[in-house]
Amino acid sequence: MASQTQTRWPDVLDPIEVASRAFLDSHQEASLAAMSRHAFYNAPLINEVWKKAGVSPDDIKSTADFKEKVPFITKDDIRDFRDRNGDPSGGMSVRIPGQTVSIGTTSGTTGDPTPVPNWRRMPSEESYSRDFWHIGARPGDHICHIMFTFRGGHRRRASQEMGLCEIAFSMSPTEIPRLIEASKIYRPVTMSIFPGPLILAMEHYFEKTGEDPVDVFKSYKGAVFGGEPLGERLKNLTKSWGLEVFETTSLGDVAGATHCRMHDGFHAYEDLAFIEAVDPVTAEPVPDGEVGELVVTTLVDRLSPLVRYRTGDLVIIDRTPCGCGRTHAKFNLLGRATDQILVEGRSILPREIMGLVENESETRASLFQIVRTGREMDELKLRIGYNKERMTGPDKELHDRLHGKIKEAIGVPLVVELVDEQELLKLGPPHKIPRVTKS
Amino acid sequence: MTLPRPDVIGSYTVDGKMHFYGSRRTELDRAGVSMVRTLKSFNFDPGSVITNVSLTPEVVQFAPFEYAVQILGMYGTNADLSPFDAGRVESLSRQFDPVAMIGIGKETLEGLEMLGHDAKTVFRGRTVWARPDAYEAVKVLPEVDARRCVIAGPVLLLECARGKLHLDSREWIAESENDQLLLTSRQVRSEPLQRLATGVAAQVSEEACACGNHDMVIELL
Repeated sequence: MASQTQTRWPDVLDPIEVASRAFLDSHQEASLAAMSRHAFYNAPLINEVWKKAGVSPDDIKSTADFKEKVPFITKDDIRDFRDRNGDPSGGMSVRIPGQTVSIGTTSGTTGDPTPVPNWRRMPSEESYSRDFWHIGARPGDHICHIMFTFRGGHRRRASQEMGLCEIAFSMSPTEIPRLIEASKIYRPVTMSIFPGPLILAMEHYFEKTGEDPVDVFKSYKGAVFGGEPLGERLKNLTKSWGLEVFETTSLGDVAGATHCRMHDGFHAYEDLAFIEAVDPVTAEPVPDGEVGELVVTTLVDRLSPLVRYRTGDLVIIDRTPCGCGRTHAKFNLLGRATDQILVEGRSILPREIMGLVENESETRASLFQIVRTGREMDELKLRIGYNKERMTGPDKELHDRLHGKIKEAIGVPLVVELVDEQELLKLGPPHKIPRVTKS
Repeated sequence: MTLPRPDVIGSYTVDGKMHFYGSRRTELDRAGVSMVRTLKSFNFDPGSVITNVSLTPEVVQFAPFEYAVQILGMYGTNADLSPFDAGRVESLSRQFDPVAMIGIGKETLEGLEMLGHDAKTVFRGRTVWARPDAYEAVKVLPEVDARRCVIAGPVLLLECARGKLHLDSREWIAESENDQLLLTSRQVRSEPLQRLATGVAAQVSEEACACGNHDMVIELL
């Protein structure tokens, strides 16, 4: 169905997206005080950490107070609270009768999935609604919804509240024929989430069937790519299909953050979250424009009131108005602080390796792991998965080719171990393997 | 009459082929209100947790169940029907101690085994609505209240506490032809159905169920 006719839809879904910096700052100041109070009295971990630091909600009267006085929390704090108290949420999730409608869970890549209580409309649904609108979805349009590794159930309503009809798919290569069929029947305008493994499976499908990707995607105004960094090969591949891809990432578990058409950073909606950057070692504030660890505070989520949560993500924050017209901050994501290794003093993150591995035909799925025995190492150790069916010569030939190209690009001592990519995929959850391993 | 536009497009499968099927949210909410009648027969406490194991394209069948859980003041958790997500089913059982799990299929059982989890431990003490391909395996597990859930086209048939499968009588006309369940929609839907052959071998019963739900009873063959 084509979009409903209206002379002109607004440029942004919510006027807050183009609010002035002065308004955003005032709004954040008020929201920080309110959320601090709520979190202190409802989230046991926040209560414990604040009391230990001698801070109370009455101390937070301004953004400056907040930044000066409020203690940080980390994932380790949450896990520690969970283990000490037998609370699966780690003292961070609140069930409020009448507000909590269900309990979602995170991907669980590195352990038990973390509970995420769901309100009627989650902050991530709010942020993605704005992103879909930015991409060009309008009332009357269809969009493809492909559930990624989080689980939130079937309660989603945000898209239909915008007048969009979601077509539901599983995250599985077996869904590709149906995705293509739906694209031809309903002519959707966007797809979310469209991750690397699905793009690769689709590439294989197009090669096998001769189906024309340009025709399949001709109604699409963009697709949301997530899960891992988007490498040049996949970017160029999807571009050749006529598909503009918008990268997305998690805003420290409090909302989503997605590229705009400028494609120079993830937009963090500042009415949903307050973001800061700190030095990953000293926790001292880092000014905008410099590398720091992303710290987030939700301004809206009363059921998971994360306050000053250190995400472990290394970012560069930019609060200047964006060319897309929106005024909210954006950030460039460099990688996880805990994934970073130093070899001969050179910083290396998985994002750098990805582009080098995916360029070889046999390893185009870019399934690899950095074997990290410590933050500082004498050599870079990589375990790289290859596709048996794409091998054209002996393993040694591929090994030497990869070794040569990675060594040349990174310039540090290197050890490459090749394994069947199926072995790496078993490390799941599907479509997302740990990029760093201790052994 | 112009048909209302769907809010969501899920799917149903007949004879191994998946069909797209669109619904308005009000249709799913209606089905949820109906499902409350069956769910109430178990007298689960408000505040308790129920785990829903289903696929994203099964939204038309399982969103109503989620809504029924919410109406009764309980909390739903979710996992995919896949061997990989069986680990999540195990984790949810341990973290939340749900009173019930719905939609357990052979993929879940295979995944639990593959990941080294004991199905007996995961399901013990719970009501478990199993799909037809997993029901017999779940039924023999100790201390499990095994129940059936059956997908018939866009509908989820749910077994009540008295052991009967219910179908929303206000929404659907059910017939059995050559021992196959056929469904015809009775209310305004974005995609009305006329004698949809569901592929489910069943007959329609005239019996009034002892659970107190007046919705018709479907007997599997």
